[in-house]
Amino acid sequence: MSFPKYEPSRLASLPTTLDPAEYDISPETRKAQAERLAIRSRLKREYLLQYNDPSRRGLVEDPALLRWTYARSANIYPNFRPTPKTSLLGALFGIGPLFFWYYVFKTDRENQLTKVWCSLVLWEGGQP
Amino acid sequence: MLKIIIPTIMLMPLTWLSKKNMIWINTTTYSLLISLISLSLLNQPSNNSLNFSLMFFSDPLSAPLLVLTTWLLPLMLMASQHHLSKEPLIRKKLYITMLTMLQTFLIMTFTATELISFYILFEATLVPTLIIITRWGNQTERLNAGLYFLFYTLMGSLPLLVALISIQNLTGSLNFLLIQYWNQALPDSWSNIFLWLACMMAFMVKMPLYGLHLWLPKAHVEAPIAGSMVLAAILLKLGGYGMLRITTMLNPQTSFMAYPFLMLSLWGMIMTSSICLRQTDLKSLIAYSSVSHMALVIVAVLIQTPWSYMGATALMIAHGLTSSMLFCLANSNYERTHSRTMILARGLQTLLPLMAAWWLLASLTNLALPPSINLIGELFVVMSSFSWSNITIILMGTNITITALYSLYMLITTQRGKYTHHINSIKPSFTRENALMALHMTPLLLLSLNPKIILGFTY
Repeated sequence: MSFPKYEPSRLASLPTTLDPAEYDISPETRKAQAERLAIRSRLKREYLLQYNDPSRRGLVEDPALLRWTYARSANIYPNFRPTPKTSLLGALFGIGPLFFWYYVFKTDRENQLTKVWCSLVLWEGGQP
Repeated sequence: MLKIIIPTIMLMPLTWLSKKNMIWINTTTYSLLISLISLSLLNQPSNNSLNFSLMFFSDPLSAPLLVLTTWLLPLMLMASQHHLSKEPLIRKKLYITMLTMLQTFLIMTFTATELISFYILFEATLVPTLIIITRWGNQTERLNAGLYFLFYTLMGSLPLLVALISIQNLTGSLNFLLIQYWNQALPDSWSNIFLWLACMMAFMVKMPLYGLHLWLPKAHVEAPIAGSMVLAAILLKLGGYGMLRITTMLNPQTSFMAYPFLMLSLWGMIMTSSICLRQTDLKSLIAYSSVSHMALVIVAVLIQTPWSYMGATALMIAHGLTSSMLFCLANSNYERTHSRTMILARGLQTLLPLMAAWWLLASLTNLALPPSINLIGELFVVMSSFSWSNITIILMGTNITITALYSLYMLITTQRGKYTHHINSIKPSFTRENALMALHMTPLLLLSLNPKIILGFTY
């Protein structure tokens, strides 16, 4: 029986067993693959030892997650450096809008107040 | 007023003399009884204040805040039971003593007549809070958090002391009831501009205003649950209450001095709401949402219209209850997973459906769903700022949208979806936790039936 040739698509990549390049790999690549597999299985063994430990109470700590949350929350300012991009962002979103909105509201408020005080707008309860 | 203050002070001997298995029961029950006493203050017969003595008075503004403060103490005690269960007895009693001291100072602050007495007690509330944050917090960052909290507030409030003493010299009395009637317009001069700044900066830091808000995420995140609850629910409102009181003395400079702070608040509420969308830490999200809600209160107070004052007071009470409830919910997560990362504990609805109901209610009130008092507060502030200047509706509308976005984001991340595989062995919800959420939610929902008691003195 001959199967149609398997074509990889966007959501289904080619499995390694159907890839002809898998079968003539150099020994160095094989060694690198074996090293990576050794690291993965060591990590998995450590995780499984902690996970199945009957005297464990609570979560298995994930050091990568701890580092990620620390970097996301508490380690931002020590690594901050004023660069052109960050200064531009700060000025554009932090300082600029304050002045922009100040002028917008000041002008609008002046117009409104002059209209009120010159009795062009009836303001309930207010008297000039 | 002594019928509330003296029992609160006596809670301290109660904790030290109770037996080991009775401390929590005794303190929680008696503080609940004290809160029931303070409910009688809500009966404000006229727009004038109820004067109990020369030193204490209660006003349609301070009565709801006082009731909130006394209501929160039993809730704080209930929330702290779990994380203190492993501590030695003396430390538990010390913790409860700190909470009680803080409660006493807060009650006296909200009812103080003399503004110097208000100031002294305002500063005094910092000390027990600092001790609670730096001693009983959970991470090493708590030391930094305590430092930021203490020094931001102290730097802001030192000018206030100078300003109050100078006003005392000028007018002869700082009795708040007298000053209301004496009030004259401040003449236009540079020193009066600095007087305005000196009076307001303490409360701006406490609220917090957007540019000076750096202490708040640190302090809220690092504090233990009772510390977070009292910080979010009451201590922020001290700033709002102080601003509402002191702006009566500061006309007419407020009309032009308020602009920078209005701009900081209006832009700051959008900025902090947007930061909430990118937070990984659950308590940090709730802390930034507090900044955003309080920015609305600052806008309302600086606009100085009757509707905005109503909105400010309603929003303060509503946010106090909602924020405190959200911190309790976050703490119930933290006690189970020992981590504040949101994505670490997902899909809780499958495991703890009743707690999911409380999460839903808290998130819905946080995004100001009608007919809750959160909506009433926000709506009044939005309406009054619209009448102040039509263009604010853009900023306010954006803020309401982003608030809804991050509240729902928080709800969906923690509750919906497939649960993470390592939380399938968490303990189910304790009755104590469910009671805590119910006691937060019940006043919130009941107040939406009769919101006029929290609408303050311009109703």
